[in-house]
Amino acid sequence: MATLQSTAPPDADRTPDRVIVRRKRTVGQRLRHDWPLLLLALPVVAHLSVFHYWPTAWNIIAFMDYSPYRPFWENPFVGFAWFERLFNDPYFTPALLNTLKFATLNLVFMFPLSIVLALAMNSIISIKARSAFQSIVYLPHFFSWVLVVTVFVQVLGADGLISNWIMDGGGERLNFTSNPDTFLLLVWMQWAWKDAGWGMIIFLAALASINPSLYEAAASDGANRWRRMWHITLPGIRPVIILLLILQIGGILSVGFEQYQLQRQSIGYQSTEVLDTFVYYQSIIGNQGESFGTAAGLFKGVIGLILILVANKIAHRLGEQGIYQKS
Amino acid sequence: MTATSIRATDTRPRRKSNRPIWDEEPSIAGKVVKALFMLCYAAAIVLPIWAVVATSFASEEALTRAGGNLLILPTEVSWQAYREIFSGGALTDSLVLTLILTFGGTAISMVLTICGAYALSRTGSLLHRPILWLILLTFLFGPGMYPSFLVVQKLGLFNSYWSLILPGAVGTFNIIILRAFFMNSIPGELIDAAKMDGAGEFRTLFRIVLPMSKAILAVIALFYAVGYWNLYFQAVLYTPGLDTQPIQVVLQRMLMSSQGLPDGAQAAAQYQSQGEAAPTAALKMAVVVCTIIPIVIMYPFIQKHFTKAVITGAVKG
Repeated sequence: MATLQSTAPPDADRTPDRVIVRRKRTVGQRLRHDWPLLLLALPVVAHLSVFHYWPTAWNIIAFMDYSPYRPFWENPFVGFAWFERLFNDPYFTPALLNTLKFATLNLVFMFPLSIVLALAMNSIISIKARSAFQSIVYLPHFFSWVLVVTVFVQVLGADGLISNWIMDGGGERLNFTSNPDTFLLLVWMQWAWKDAGWGMIIFLAALASINPSLYEAAASDGANRWRRMWHITLPGIRPVIILLLILQIGGILSVGFEQYQLQRQSIGYQSTEVLDTFVYYQSIIGNQGESFGTAAGLFKGVIGLILILVANKIAHRLGEQGIYQKS
Repeated sequence: MTATSIRATDTRPRRKSNRPIWDEEPSIAGKVVKALFMLCYAAAIVLPIWAVVATSFASEEALTRAGGNLLILPTEVSWQAYREIFSGGALTDSLVLTLILTFGGTAISMVLTICGAYALSRTGSLLHRPILWLILLTFLFGPGMYPSFLVVQKLGLFNSYWSLILPGAVGTFNIIILRAFFMNSIPGELIDAAKMDGAGEFRTLFRIVLPMSKAILAVIALFYAVGYWNLYFQAVLYTPGLDTQPIQVVLQRMLMSSQGLPDGAQAAAQYQSQGEAAPTAALKMAVVVCTIIPIVIMYPFIQKHFTKAVITGAVKG
């Protein structure tokens, strides 16, 4: 059975054979002993402090009337005024709704697709066929969004390959890559093309860790394929499914930036605006100001944090491990 | 789909290519449907890429004949598009810049990641837990686009190539993956023995730990390298004012200009001022091929280790 290890708390690493009892040593003695490790950790700590925690602290300007042209301490606190303005912004609600729309699409149609693909893949008996297939379907994961969008325009665009075929056959020009009404389908197709294969990888590993004798025992008890899948396979990969589900729910407002920004001009902003592009176009390109953009980002971050904690709590209640345990 | 799902139930590790004796042979129809499904899926990935390669080798006349765009097979191979890319113009500059960013960035990222992961793999050391929490907390909360942008500005990195490398140089997930590998796959006795023989932490890291981790280091380096090679968002955000842009930005401008979209106007004007024609489909596709080639070259060497790397961090069997 797979157990989750990724973001396990520090307690999890206390495997007995590695713990050296150091309680009686003073900090000075430990420093003398451990300074090379601290030195090794220093660059990462410095990097995260500068590029992660310092910007995190800057989120305070979401509660200030911030202007870069006066000293920091002269900026007055304004409470939640920027958030009020954010929620009344005519472009914010559509951006939020679009984000939720794409996230739901991902959760409902992408996530299960990877599981189904992994199950199908796992049933291929020939090892050669499997690895050939794996090599092909993992590849697009490493392509950039610019490349994916370019390839889609070339194949499905108005002057694209398929459009040309249709016109040769006397049909109408295809406008799939510039049609706001079908953008959701286009986004899904791009996701499926780029990442559905890569999404399998973790499920395949979980499937491989299921003890084969369980299947043998079930089969000799007369369980057919369906029953074996329902009673052995799915319970076997459940911890992984739950873990990924929690991460997906936590990332529900982070559907990405590039895919939407790249297609903004051909589709139109109404259908492509998500929270990240909203921040970019309103605050960095536009003139809504520093505090406004920060408030929008903070809103996104806090909702994501709450969702991930709540989802994890629910997973614990259901007896799953979730992404971390209580420490 | 139904047939596929039925076949999909047959899931277990198996001896070579032999079906286990207790497993019933699937129906022919089931086999055919699954094979067709898999083939269609693979074709949906391979064919567009092949069409891109084919178009990049097409001559201008062949393209006009085909309606100005993609072909399945070039009738005669033309290297014109590639000559244009490597003729020393803006495209060459962009490719060179992207290569430098990729190599430099990957080197910096790898040093940071290896040092951090090794330090954190030695549990029980001074400040071990606070540092681990510092890294784990980054998974829960991101600082947001605007504050990050503000910090880059304050550091004076705006419109500097350093802003394309430094802010994203540490992938905390990669640190956790590598740390888990160091802790689970390198026997603690080996490290203790090295210590006993008088090796310090640095010597242990370089002489014992790193040589035993080549495969996973290669995968993590690939992840970083692909990230730098595909870098687009950071360039849009942090370096909009620079003349030589990473290749993905150049490709995006070419795409926009050929679609007649406003963003492409800048690129189109640039081509006109240089007395060049707007990019043909072949040139565009040749740039696409150039961005794919490094990935495709690296890919086979590293692909077999993917699962191991992804799983070490996430799932322990």
